[in-house]
Amino acid sequence: MDILVFVKRVAATQEEELRIIDDGKNIDLSKIPFKMNDWDNYAVEEAVKIVEDKGGSVTAISIGSGESDEVLRRAIAMGSKDGILIESNETIHDPALRALAIYNFIKKENMQFDAIFTGVQSEDDQFAATGGFLAGKMGLSYASMVIGIDAIENGYFVLRRELEGGLQERIKIKTPCVLSIQSGINEPRYVSIMGIRKASKVERKIMKFNDYAGSGDAVIDLIRWSYPEKKGGATMLTGEVDAQCKELLEILKNKGVY
Amino acid sequence: MGYALIISEVRRGVFEERNLDAIGIANLAGKDAYLLIPEGNYNINGNMVDKIIKVKTEESMFLNPLIITGLITKIMDSSASPEMVIFTHSSSGIEMASYLAGKMGLPIITDISGYEKNGDIFFKSYYSDKVFGQFKKTKESPLILTVRSGSFKDFATDKGKQAEETTVEGLSGIEERSFIEYVEEEKTGVDITKAEFLLSLGRGVGNKDEIPKFEELAQLLKATISGSRPVVDKQWLPKERQVGTSGKTVKPKVYLAMGISGAFQHIAGMKDSECIIAVNKDPEAPIFQYAHYGIVGDANKIRDKLKDIIQGG
Repeated sequence: MDILVFVKRVAATQEEELRIIDDGKNIDLSKIPFKMNDWDNYAVEEAVKIVEDKGGSVTAISIGSGESDEVLRRAIAMGSKDGILIESNETIHDPALRALAIYNFIKKENMQFDAIFTGVQSEDDQFAATGGFLAGKMGLSYASMVIGIDAIENGYFVLRRELEGGLQERIKIKTPCVLSIQSGINEPRYVSIMGIRKASKVERKIMKFNDYAGSGDAVIDLIRWSYPEKKGGATMLTGEVDAQCKELLEILKNKGVY
Repeated sequence: MGYALIISEVRRGVFEERNLDAIGIANLAGKDAYLLIPEGNYNINGNMVDKIIKVKTEESMFLNPLIITGLITKIMDSSASPEMVIFTHSSSGIEMASYLAGKMGLPIITDISGYEKNGDIFFKSYYSDKVFGQFKKTKESPLILTVRSGSFKDFATDKGKQAEETTVEGLSGIEERSFIEYVEEEKTGVDITKAEFLLSLGRGVGNKDEIPKFEELAQLLKATISGSRPVVDKQWLPKERQVGTSGKTVKPKVYLAMGISGAFQHIAGMKDSECIIAVNKDPEAPIFQYAHYGIVGDANKIRDKLKDIIQGG
């Protein structure tokens, strides 16, 4: 089974403060570390596991700046056969524009595949729309929130999708198809520095986003950034750690749970 | 005035409350609300929408993006096009919305949690609610939206008259994708929804080796351990401990969140707790907006200090 996996390099902002700059026009990511999008990490692992079991190959593809090469190296270290960078130095916010470029790339380069994997969403824009848009455009079958692949039969996946509150649905889906992989579907393998170094020796192709962008017009436009609305917020416990902890324990006592 | 086509979410006979958010944003945007729903005995306040379009089909068809896209395309071809097609920002909602957008080449904005009528501007979350992007469509065309549950339900109001009803022909299954069954998560011994005091852990605790140290603290505090999605995904905690939309909804007396930044899927699962206390390194973490008390600091340091104090005296 040949699988194309789309991977994205994203800012890891969980523990970082994000600043809006330039009068709301931009956000400052200059001091923030970057990494492979969590969901894509699970998607690569799932694809590699399938290929290890059934044969075939995994090709990792990333749209982004030259620095996105690092997520391709990681995907190769995890077991992808090769990596392709579709280079774009501008941030693409519109998932329609991103998916159309992927569509054009696949057609123009005559990419062969049985399945296309994406992560359910990326941690930065959280659109969760690229995989579905691409499938709709290509006229392929589609499933998102894929949390378990139970069987791969000739021409079909039997898989489980996560719904809500612990409920899942089991479906049968025909290949070729697009699957958006949910986090937690597997345990992504550990990638060592040595592994990344070895992966660096595998040649990665570099293509130009503009060659696939079509008219290049986004159908939606991000006009400005804003911070979330403040909702009153918490009473902050201040002072030394010792004083903060004592106050916290007082609160627990007052609430009658400790 | 145009109309908004709302694709309802129904699960095992229940019309989900999150549909109200889709109705709410249609009202806010000044569109008539047309509700698309499978035929069945669903409990809906018919005064909240302008039209109910019943489809002669079973519920599982509304879980299939290929089938629903076919149906919506038919509706759009046979009558005036809606100005918006609105889904819930849920597992099925995003699946159908993105597929429909790709099939029809329409603009899509997902996870909408705010709207400004003046300028027709939609607010969507970036980076787990640390910032929001304000979006507009760039040309005249129907717009596809998924809306965040809890964001617009207050705008779903009684219109004082019963909605008009129509029924459209059924849908049949397709070979490309078919529903087999619903699968329930396995029931286990622990039920975090019954706990009075939850000590809930997030990615901010750093790594798996820290978990036993929190379990010691939980024992000292007589608290039950729960966690956020990333911690469960990384298998630091078992799935039955997960709080949030894809896990459990909890309402303990005290919810002590350590190292959790507060993605909306998590907030949705714990915001009704009686008292929320949050510990996080980032003073701007969204969870502080929902917490009653907060400490800006390292979860592990606070944990160790709490243990010292309790054991010392």
